[in-house]
Amino acid sequence: MTSISWAVRPGSPEAVPHSLDEAEGFSAIFDAHFAEIHRYVAQRLGDDVAEDIVAETFLTAFRKRSRYDPSRAGVRAWLYGIATNLVGRQRRGEVRTLRALGRHGLDPDAPGHEERVAARVSAESLRPSLAAAVAELHQRDRDVLLLVALADLSHEEVAAALGIPYGTVGSRLSRARRKLRAILGETNPMLDPEETRRG
Amino acid sequence: MDELEKLRELYGEPRPDPVLKARVRQALDAEAGRPRLRFTKGITGVLAATATVVTVVAVAVVVTGATTAEPEQVVSPGVTTTVSGRSILLAAAVTAEAGPENDGAYWHVSKLNRRTYPETFGAEGDRYRVAESQLTEQWVTEDGEVWVGTRSLGTRPASETDKKAWRRDGSPTEWRVPGGTLSTEPGRGHLETVPDGTAFSMAGRKMTLEQIRGLPTDPVSLREQVAELVRDAPGGSLDGVVADALSGLLWSKPSPPKVRAAAYRALADLPEVRYLGEAEDEQGRAGAAFSFTLQTAGSSRLPATVRRTLVIDPVTSQVLSSTVTGRPGTGDDQVEVVLDAGWTTEKPAVPALP
Repeated sequence: MTSISWAVRPGSPEAVPHSLDEAEGFSAIFDAHFAEIHRYVAQRLGDDVAEDIVAETFLTAFRKRSRYDPSRAGVRAWLYGIATNLVGRQRRGEVRTLRALGRHGLDPDAPGHEERVAARVSAESLRPSLAAAVAELHQRDRDVLLLVALADLSHEEVAAALGIPYGTVGSRLSRARRKLRAILGETNPMLDPEETRRG
Repeated sequence: MDELEKLRELYGEPRPDPVLKARVRQALDAEAGRPRLRFTKGITGVLAATATVVTVVAVAVVVTGATTAEPEQVVSPGVTTTVSGRSILLAAAVTAEAGPENDGAYWHVSKLNRRTYPETFGAEGDRYRVAESQLTEQWVTEDGEVWVGTRSLGTRPASETDKKAWRRDGSPTEWRVPGGTLSTEPGRGHLETVPDGTAFSMAGRKMTLEQIRGLPTDPVSLREQVAELVRDAPGGSLDGVVADALSGLLWSKPSPPKVRAAAYRALADLPEVRYLGEAEDEQGRAGAAFSFTLQTAGSSRLPATVRRTLVIDPVTSQVLSSTVTGRPGTGDDQVEVVLDAGWTTEKPAVPALP
């Protein structure tokens, strides 16, 4: 391989935005953010589609790197914005993924499967309705909700990522959360038969 | 718990794909086109990182494994599968080769999972962790129909030390965790069909029954083909990933006897596969322990390097347990005890309490 020189990671994360137009700088961005961008896209679209979308996210970022403005958004928010935009073009795929998540959504042979099964011990009965509620949200509300819930972006970062006003982030988020609360309120997990039997 | 927590719980964690990052990197290299724009870091960096981890792990294993490994098997990380470990794998291959062909309507795997939760409970300064046991069964027909049965067997303090802290905490029988409540009581069982019927995968890639049956029966060809299937890393193969995929052929997939035998032989020749000595699985069944480390795609909650430890029964060639260990000290291990893996005529049913 000719690429052994890449073993030296250039610069600290803070220095990255200033070296965006160099391949070294971009390689560092890829290394630093690949895992979380992949996780976010895989959560929204499933593992199979995620690979292509994540590749496209970084490729888009690489091609548009000259238009990146560090005063407007951090690299992280910028990448999430690109990824969210690409996810938005896969609406049917996202709905399908949500249906699968609500139902079961798991490759039974996959590593990590048991972890997910174990984590939803008693929340089982809520899954389908919660997934359906997320699928029924407006795309723009869902984007804000998931950037906060899954990507853990601040309101400022969401605003920068999506190119919307700060106040709009808050109103979209509270509308989305209200709809989810309505669903969750209808089915109190404490009334789940499995729970009461234990009591 | 608020709705954002519920939402995170709904989405869960995507499954780790150890070679995905390398694959995407390669795709980007190809797309970016010009040699100056290569994203590729080079495989040497990755392998060096793996080697460092192996060194650390080899020390950790002596403590946790409680094995009777001979000293030279653990003190020199550079030395890989020892003669005795290799001979155990080769002997298992001979037994595997004589195993039964498909003699039932359903491929059936029954396993006991134990998962230690990352949350801690109890009084400040006297915290403890809990672990939940769960029975998971899978059935697959020749036509690709898939059923999955699950049943919680209840949650307990994770270790003897945790048990003492739990007693001091008043021996509670329920614990709140993100996603619900854990209880010492077993839960009701569930049986579900899996609609799109993807039963098998290797390093995150789907595999059909035909593909599994068509795998080479010669260890060198099998290793090469598996490496081809799982690898897109430039410059060489990630042996930990190949080892992981090969170990999956031993129990989680309906591999024909000759393919299982070849998988054992291929593992015997992999330098990453370390023999840890005699060990018992969680059920107290005696076997031989082997381990290797592998890189995963990683995420904020999943470590980028994990260790897989297999305990096999050299006499029957069955895999007894498969444990994935994350960062040492976090207690977030994932233990799978294989109760049964083979063909059966019995129909899928809700898992019964053992």
